[in-house]
Formats: sequence, C-alpha cells, structure tokens
Amino acid sequence: MGKLWVVARREYLERVRSKWFIVSTILTPVLLGTLVFLPAWMAHRSQPSSDVARIIVVDASGTRLGSRVATELNGGLFGDASLTHVVEVSPAGAAAAQDSARQEVLSERAKGYLLIDTTTVAGDTARYVGSNASSPVDMGRIERVLGEQLIALRLERAGVDPAQIRSITTSSVTLHAERPGERSAGGSAEVTSAFAFSVAFLLYFSIFLYGQNVMRGVIEEKQSRVAEVVVASVSATRLLGGKVLGVGAVGITQIALSIGASMLLYKLRAPLLAQFGLPAMPIPFPEVTAGDFVLLLTYFVLGYLFYAALFAAVGAVVSTEQEAQQVQLPVAMLLVVSAVFIQPVLLAPDSSLAATLSLIPFSAPIMMPLRLALVPVPWWTVASSIAALGLGCYAAVWIAARIYRTGLLMYGKRPTVRELIRWIRVAR
Amino acid sequence: MQDLAIEIRNVVKRYEHHVAVRDLSLEVPRGTVYGLLGPNGAGKTTTIRMILSIIEPDSGTIRVFGKGHTEPGVLDTIGYLPEERGLYKKMEVRRVLRFLGELKGLDRRTADRRIAEWLERLGLSGNGKDWGRAKVDELSRGMQQKVQFIAALLHDPELVILDEPFSGLDPINAQALKDTVVDLKRRGKTVIFSTHLMENAERMCDAVCILARGEKVLDGYVADVKAGHGGVHVALSVAGDADGAAGVLGDSTLVHRVDDSNRFFEVELVPGADPQLLLRRLVTAGVPIERFELAQPSLHQIFLQSVGAGAVEEGMTGHG
Repeated sequence: MGKLWVVARREYLERVRSKWFIVSTILTPVLLGTLVFLPAWMAHRSQPSSDVARIIVVDASGTRLGSRVATELNGGLFGDASLTHVVEVSPAGAAAAQDSARQEVLSERAKGYLLIDTTTVAGDTARYVGSNASSPVDMGRIERVLGEQLIALRLERAGVDPAQIRSITTSSVTLHAERPGERSAGGSAEVTSAFAFSVAFLLYFSIFLYGQNVMRGVIEEKQSRVAEVVVASVSATRLLGGKVLGVGAVGITQIALSIGASMLLYKLRAPLLAQFGLPAMPIPFPEVTAGDFVLLLTYFVLGYLFYAALFAAVGAVVSTEQEAQQVQLPVAMLLVVSAVFIQPVLLAPDSSLAATLSLIPFSAPIMMPLRLALVPVPWWTVASSIAALGLGCYAAVWIAARIYRTGLLMYGKRPTVRELIRWIRVAR
Repeated sequence: MQDLAIEIRNVVKRYEHHVAVRDLSLEVPRGTVYGLLGPNGAGKTTTIRMILSIIEPDSGTIRVFGKGHTEPGVLDTIGYLPEERGLYKKMEVRRVLRFLGELKGLDRRTADRRIAEWLERLGLSGNGKDWGRAKVDELSRGMQQKVQFIAALLHDPELVILDEPFSGLDPINAQALKDTVVDLKRRGKTVIFSTHLMENAERMCDAVCILARGEKVLDGYVADVKAGHGGVHVALSVAGDADGAAGVLGDSTLVHRVDDSNRFFEVELVPGADPQLLLRRLVTAGVPIERFELAQPSLHQIFLQSVGAGAVEEGMTGHG
C-alpha cells in the first residue's frame, strides 16, 4: 500500500502543479461563466429592437390600416406617437411616396418603410424596406402587428363592437412541452434533455481526457527510460495502479473545482449580469439528489478506470506519442461510438438500443447516466449495468496490467496482436 | 556457511525465439566488488533484471541476502543504476530524488537531508547555485548522470547493482564512479557491475563471472581465475619500432599465443618454454624493450580465450 501511495501522490502533485492544470482550472469557470452570460444575452437579443417603430408607413390602401399599425407599433394608444410616421396616399401616389420614404431611410432618419396597399388588405402581401430587414425578430414583430390589425379591421367592417376587438385579437399562449413518463421535477423536457446531454457529454469528455492523460504518462516513463528505475523499486502492477489512482484523483479535483466554481457563479450571477445591464434569467435545473450524485460519481470512476487501463496498455505497447495516435484508435473508437449514440438515446431513452448500450461496459458509463437523467430506470437495471461495468473494469485492468508489465521495457518493434495475446497469457 | 549477497541457482529465462539465460548458477559473497562480464547479448542485463524482480525467471531460484528475491523489503536493500538511464524530464531534481527515495522506503525527512548532502558532495549545489531546484531537462548530461547515481545510492543500499556503469560517462564522472565503488566496498557494501570493458573489471573486481550466450563460462575470485588459467605469460612493451619483435613472437615452438596491441604485447608461452630464451632472442633481434615482465594472464586474455570470437550472437542487439 505504501509504494502505491507514493506513486499516486507523485502523479497527482506533478499534474496539479503543472501549467496545464492551472490554465484549464481557470478556463473552465470562464467557459461556464460564458454559458451563464450567453442565455441572458441571447434572451436580450430575442427582444425586437427598441426602435422597431421608428419607421414610415406608406398607406396606399385607403383603409386607415396604416395608422392602426402605427399606433400598435408605438405601444398602443398611450405609446409614443412620434415614432412612426404615417403617409396616406392614393394608389397612384404610392410610387412617389415610396421614393421619398426611401430617401429618409437612406439618410437614416427612419429605420425603414412599410408599404400597405390593396393587396395587403386582401390578406396577401405587404412590403418592407429597411436596415433591419434581415432581423427575424423585428420582421416578426411587424408581421404580427400587421396581421392583428388586419383582423381588427375586418372585424370592425363586419360590425363587431370596437371595444371587443382588442380582446378578440390579442392572445398569448405559452406552450409547456413534456414527454410522458418524464421526471416532473425541474420542469420542461427541454431542460431535462439539455441537462442529460451535458452530463453525458461531460462524462465522455472527462473519461477521454484523463484516460489519455494516463497513456501519456506511461509513454513519458517509457520514453525517458525512467520506468526501469521505478520498476526496480515497485512492481509494474503497482506502478500502473498508482498512476491510474493519481490521475483519477486529478480528474475528480478538477471536476469538483468546476462544479464549485459554477455553483458560485450561479449564486452571483444576478449582480454579475447587472454589471452588463442584463436581467438575471432563472436557469432551470433538474433536481439532483445525493443518490443521483453518488451514481454519477460511480459511473465516472468505473468508466475512467475501464478506459484508463486500456489507454495505459496502449501507452505500454508504443514507443512514441506519434505512434500512440494510431494505436489508441480502437480504444478511442469505443468511446467515440458511445458519444455518437448520445443523440439517438436522448430521443428514445427507453428503446432497446438505449437499454443495450447502458449494459455494455464500454458505453455504460455514458449511456446509463444519460438515461438516468431522462427517465426513471428500474434499480435492477442500474445494478446490472454497474455489475457489468465492474466486471469489464476487472477484465480491462487484468489485461492492461499484463501488457503493461511486459511492454514497459520493450522498445523498437511494436508487438503484433499474436504477441500481445501471448503477453497476456504468459504471466511473465 | 559463507555469507552471500546473491545466490542464483539453476536460473533459466526463455524468450519466444531464444534463450536469454540458461541454467545459470552463481554466488556473490557479501562485501565484494563483483563483475558480470560478457559480450553484448550474453544475458547480463537479463540476469540483473531477474535479481531485481523486474522480470521473473522461468525456473530456478534467486536469493538476496538469504531471502527469496521477491520477498517484501528485499528491493529496498538494492540500489540500481540501469544501462539505459533516464529520469522524469519535467520534474524538479529534488522531487525526482525524493520520489525515488520514498519508493525505496525512505521517509521524507531522511530523504531530503541525504539529497542535500549528495547534491553538495557532487557539486550540484553550493556557491549560490542550486541545481536541485532545476528541472531535470535543464541539466547537462553529465549532471543528469550524477543525479542518477544519487538516485541509486540515496537509500544507502547494502547491495548496489550497476549495469554497464561506465558507458557514456565522461572521464571525470567515470573517476567519481570508481571512487564511489571503492568507498562502498570500504563500508562493507556489495557491488555488482556488468561491463564488457575488461580493464575496469581487472582493476576493480574481487570476483567475476564471465557469461556468453546466456551461459556461465567461468566464475570465481579474480586471483583464483588467473591461477587456474595456467601457462607462462609475459607482458612486453617496446619503444618505437617493433618490427623485429614480430619475427621472434611468431616462433610457434616458443610462443603459444600473442595479443599484439602495437606497442604492448601480451604473450603466452608454449608450456615448458623458457621465458629467458624469449628475452635473449628479443635482445638479439634488436627490439628496443621497455618492459619485460612475467605476469599473470589479464582478464582480457582469459575472456578472449574462454569466450572466443564467435560468442556474440548474430542478430542480437540491445540488452544482454
């Protein structure tokens, strides 16, 4: 136990002290900060421009539809009537009025102009020319107001009481979308999906990152030839164990720091966002219980162990990092394939594909947490998934330790698959 | 019973396409400087790695100070300098040494104290300079070699194993290494080193074992080995032109074998031949003799005779 600890401590301390660790630990909260900042900014963007009403309405329809639209754009009867300028012309004068409106727009005295004519009243088309013509939000606003006012005009013509028209034309329904069998806690399906996706992606990313870290560590010891001095003091198996433990502890430290930093950011986001004049939108989070957290940690640890062992074996087989880029491909593919299936499983978390993938050791560490975040999973399914993953880990570590032990002091020619099998079968 | 540092009994190590060590038995008495000699590919490094439990023998037993070599604590009594040297390049020198010391069971405080002593002794700290705080790859090759010695000796091991210690050493570090070996011997430690440089072995070893093709050719105390290698040997040095010597030394009724190094000749006489006769004939031939000495055969001669020229296995590279 003593020497295992010495090895693990070196792996941990050397990494935590490295520039890589410090930079990535600082960058992660910055990235997360952007994630908090971005929705607020996007929400801000999704409001129509404050001066969307600063336009000229050229009304050639002879119906006063133009002034109705202007009033509504200005914010109703009590709004600022000076923003929108209405020009009522006969159909024959429309061309001239458009020309002068165009001049106003070009000289930036107006944002744009809206042409309303008889085709508009017939419910067909209207024309808008302006600098914000490519903003879907602004155009949507104008289109909606135009549509509402056209209906109001028709209702009025049909003899509906003007007092009732407003309540008839104005409606706002918010659609809350949910899937059947969904965890109700936390709210909408969108939030749950986003959360589940983030969990799965983070697991994929960190298992990959720290697994490769172990591989690079093995290659470094091999390349620098320090491995021989070390294995003259501690068995290769224990060296591998200490290395995997140490790097894993670095991973958990970094994840804990990131979670801590993001929780702090979340708490402080209102004053932070206020600095930029943005409102603090509530960010909905599904409820995460301590039990969920323990499960998540279990899957990270087991998944990391499984892949770290395989990556270590890759490191022991090769002599240089360049060589490792090729040889690691089969191991990396197992992970990448799991990541490719995130999307299908996200859409159908109860499918047999999802159930199978969450039982296979190489995809279970990503797929099972993904499903757990989406739908209720029977406990025995979780238990068998963990058991399968545990067995997978045992096998991976057993195989990796044998390859590692032999490969660590082999240089030059890379072993063939047949030789690898021999390394695994023969203890030494 | 003799107090043995190492006792190897009938050890065999096979690889897929060759046998690295076959049925090797040898004994290293405690407190001796022991040379493991042999050409490349003879099985020296394999033997050393088996002693250190880096690889396991297919059969046979290895005992270190009377204990099985895999028993816990045994590795902590051995210091090892591998042939291929290397340290963690990006690590601070002190931290590497502390790590390697702790792996040998030293506690941190003892390790730190000894590291400070060693760095100063080998001139890596002091005079306002402290290379201990530098990263390993900031050190010159010579300094890295010093750090590697420290790593092998930091835990004050009873047994020190040096694999080809002189390869790649500059003369100053080679001298320092020789002094260190003498010092270790004086303090009662056992030193085993492998080499194919017979001159170093000749000067330093109490006992030797010569390996070839994975087999022991001979072993024992150097004095016994030489005595057992009978015959009359003459060490001959000439000044300047030695043309006349060739004719005399070519006489097969007198000279059995000669190793010609241009100005130095190691001559083995035919059994029963008189060395005085050789001297007279050399003088008559006008050879300008600088030295004419009845000598024991050198390890080099013994090595060449017992191993033969074909001992280096074809196609074998790297570790022996």
